Amino acid sequence: MRVYVLRRVLQIVPTVLMITLVVFVMMRSIPGDPVVALLGDAYTEEDAVTVRAAYGLDRPVLVQYVIWLGKLVQGDWGASILSGRPVLQDVLIRLPVTLELIVLSMGVALAIAIPAAIIGALRQNTWADYTATTVAMIGVSIPEFFIGVLLLLIFSIGLGGLLPSSGWVYLPGTCPTMVCGVSLWGNVQHVLLPAIALGVGRAAILTRLLRASMLEVIRTEYVTTARAKGLGERPVVFKHALKNALIPTITVMGLQVGFLIGGAIVVETLFAMPGLGTFGIDAIIARDYQQVQGFALLTAVVFVVINLVVDLLYTFLDPRIRYA
Amino acid sequence: MNSPRRWPCALIALSVLAWIVAVPVTADAQSPKRGGTLRVSYGNEIAHLDFHTAPGYEMMWVAMNVGCGLVNITPDGKFVGDAAESWQMSPDGLLYTFKLRTNVLFHDGTRVDAAAVKFSIDRLKDPATKSGMRAFYDAVHSVEVLDASTVQIRLKQPYAFMLHMLAAYRTGLVLYSPAATQKFSLDDRKQGKPGAVVGCGPFRLIEWVKGSHLLMERFDKYFVPGLPYLDRVMIRTIKDPVTEMAAFKAGEIDFIASFSPEHVDTLKAHNPKAQILTGKETTPMLAAMKVTVPKDGKPMSKERAPHPIFGDLRVRKAVGCYGIDRHEIVKIAFRGKATPWVGMNPPGTLDTVDVNHLCPYDPAKAKAMLAEAGYGPQKRLTFELMADTEKSVFNVIATVIKEQMARIGVTANIRLVDKVSWMNTTLQDGPWDMYVEDLLSLITLDSNGYLSNSTSTWSHPRHNDKRVDEHYARYAREMDAAKRRAIAREIQEFFAENMYWNNISGSPFFMVAQPWMKGYTYNAEFEVHYHRVWLDR
Repeated sequence: MRVYVLRRVLQIVPTVLMITLVVFVMMRSIPGDPVVALLGDAYTEEDAVTVRAAYGLDRPVLVQYVIWLGKLVQGDWGASILSGRPVLQDVLIRLPVTLELIVLSMGVALAIAIPAAIIGALRQNTWADYTATTVAMIGVSIPEFFIGVLLLLIFSIGLGGLLPSSGWVYLPGTCPTMVCGVSLWGNVQHVLLPAIALGVGRAAILTRLLRASMLEVIRTEYVTTARAKGLGERPVVFKHALKNALIPTITVMGLQVGFLIGGAIVVETLFAMPGLGTFGIDAIIARDYQQVQGFALLTAVVFVVINLVVDLLYTFLDPRIRYA
Repeated sequence: MNSPRRWPCALIALSVLAWIVAVPVTADAQSPKRGGTLRVSYGNEIAHLDFHTAPGYEMMWVAMNVGCGLVNITPDGKFVGDAAESWQMSPDGLLYTFKLRTNVLFHDGTRVDAAAVKFSIDRLKDPATKSGMRAFYDAVHSVEVLDASTVQIRLKQPYAFMLHMLAAYRTGLVLYSPAATQKFSLDDRKQGKPGAVVGCGPFRLIEWVKGSHLLMERFDKYFVPGLPYLDRVMIRTIKDPVTEMAAFKAGEIDFIASFSPEHVDTLKAHNPKAQILTGKETTPMLAAMKVTVPKDGKPMSKERAPHPIFGDLRVRKAVGCYGIDRHEIVKIAFRGKATPWVGMNPPGTLDTVDVNHLCPYDPAKAKAMLAEAGYGPQKRLTFELMADTEKSVFNVIATVIKEQMARIGVTANIRLVDKVSWMNTTLQDGPWDMYVEDLLSLITLDSNGYLSNSTSTWSHPRHNDKRVDEHYARYAREMDAAKRRAIAREIQEFFAENMYWNNISGSPFFMVAQPWMKGYTYNAEFEVHYHRVWLDR
């Protein structure tokens, strides 16, 4: 097990490097030059040449990448070309917001998916099953921004400002800056709508997957045996069937984190949240290469680490699985 | 004779009359309340906080409140002193003498004196600063310190817009504390590190967290006694107009500093008591056409050849002048909330002239001119129409133009790009035929010089007509207002006749305030000051 974990941790390094290299090359391949935005009204071709040289942007892309990597190893994530702000500081300020959003939206997804899938599987081809599958289909089909706007219209406008439309309030003790709104209740209020907007789509996917998995499991012999032994329906479903049906779902949950990061860009922009998603999209639009690299690096690390954790969870869910 | 029984009635009538008279007076003369936090929403991110070099209105609106300058301008065009108490211009127009107030302090406690003024202007003029405002100071020969409270600006030639420039060209002159500027690096200032951004305005910067918020707090030693009224101003970036509307409706924000025209009606419908602030347009919405291309193929080359399509004046006029129905565009893209305007100077800008009669919508004439230029059913004119994604209205306008072009037998292929790609293509003399954009606000025609004279980097069409430069120079040096207006007319007619600047309309600007926000004076994008704002909650 220890060897397996070590091997997986070491595998993270080339994976993340490959992702950052691809992003690095892609960013420099698309049209646009951050120097133009940096110089703004003062733009002259001569100044642009000087500034490009100062930031090393006139060197071959691979050389730039090696330089970036060299600094990264020393803990220097670079500074924004436009604002001069240290990238590491900025991404760390924003990471907790996005992590909380992702975790809670996954929570929302599971809270919807598990009961819907169980009902759908146990009452297959009844109105309850049809309702669950239809809702799941609708959930998959509606994009996050549309659900977000609907939630805004209902809860922030329609119900007289029941929930805030935008912004962020930090959990007590997590304010990363000098001035923050800090309150547990405020945090819950601010994260609820974005988490639902982001989680509903995932819920739909997980419902369909888990329902199919449950249908398969409840027809297996060991479930029939459990029932034959006189076990009640509840322990059969929750202890025997659900635990095993969750294994493929957990794999998909890990992969869904990538989609959640992508969805966070949309949802954070819609709800004006100071998270990593808005940071990333602003950086890409401004061609702020250093910030884009920081964003790519951090999201890649988050993604592979979560998937590693998911893999390790298997051993707890299925004792038959042992990593050599 | 009055009956004693009538006295009570008379008294009641008098009381009612007194109440009627007194109540409006009381309502009008509400005394401002001190305290509170003004919550402001910006639609775009602040680029950085070095006020002399950062681009974008969002930065400017911070600079105007953290910083102070020599003079400000009122909506009716009058100049009022800021750090300057008074000023004088010499009879030959070459020397401006400013007498400074003695009680103006920078936020680091140092005094705003003549040396600080000289330091700030010299910094702006220094090519190493790379300030976008440097071009505005071309007329300035030198700045001399006469004594601690008196500073003289010597000009190379008379400059009729000296005070306009100091007040409102971009941020206007923002004074920098020499001590703080030398103590902190440029990067510190750009990042808004505590203590690095030091102004002499009514608010001092507390914190800027990019992508989250910017907080300013009342500067207790501001030189105007009793001002500002607010304790704090909290600025947040909300990019999505729907979210902005929801936040406004829910009372989470007090002021939207720039609101999309296409959503104004919706916001009004949901918030009947909201204050919608707007005025005559000061920003041009144009469909620019490229006039020349580099002869040797090298971008920005001084050797120019006519653009293969729009290098021909007949084609420019057929397409831009007679082929575009400006009224239709305004009706569709702005729901009628803009003014169709051919002149390069928008309707709200000083010395503007209506030259719409020079370019009436006339598809038949457009077709005839195209035929004269060799285009027709056999040789169909096709060009690329670039629109960037910064504002959805650009794409709408491009779509309407495409449709209008089809009516005169021309094909316009729309290319949608993001803002940075647009800037790269246009600024670096890249390949483009026509683009739709609204560039920036113009307080004077003079301030448009650097967007449209033949030598400017920002003159995207790259016409090389030196007559334009002569017109601008003559206009800027003319100190007689009546003669200046005549030159302004010449310039605007000249541009329309040569189609160097193809204006569609003005680009409307809206601000939105909650009913409880009081004391704000609307002055378009030029002056956004919060020092007299107070909250009646």
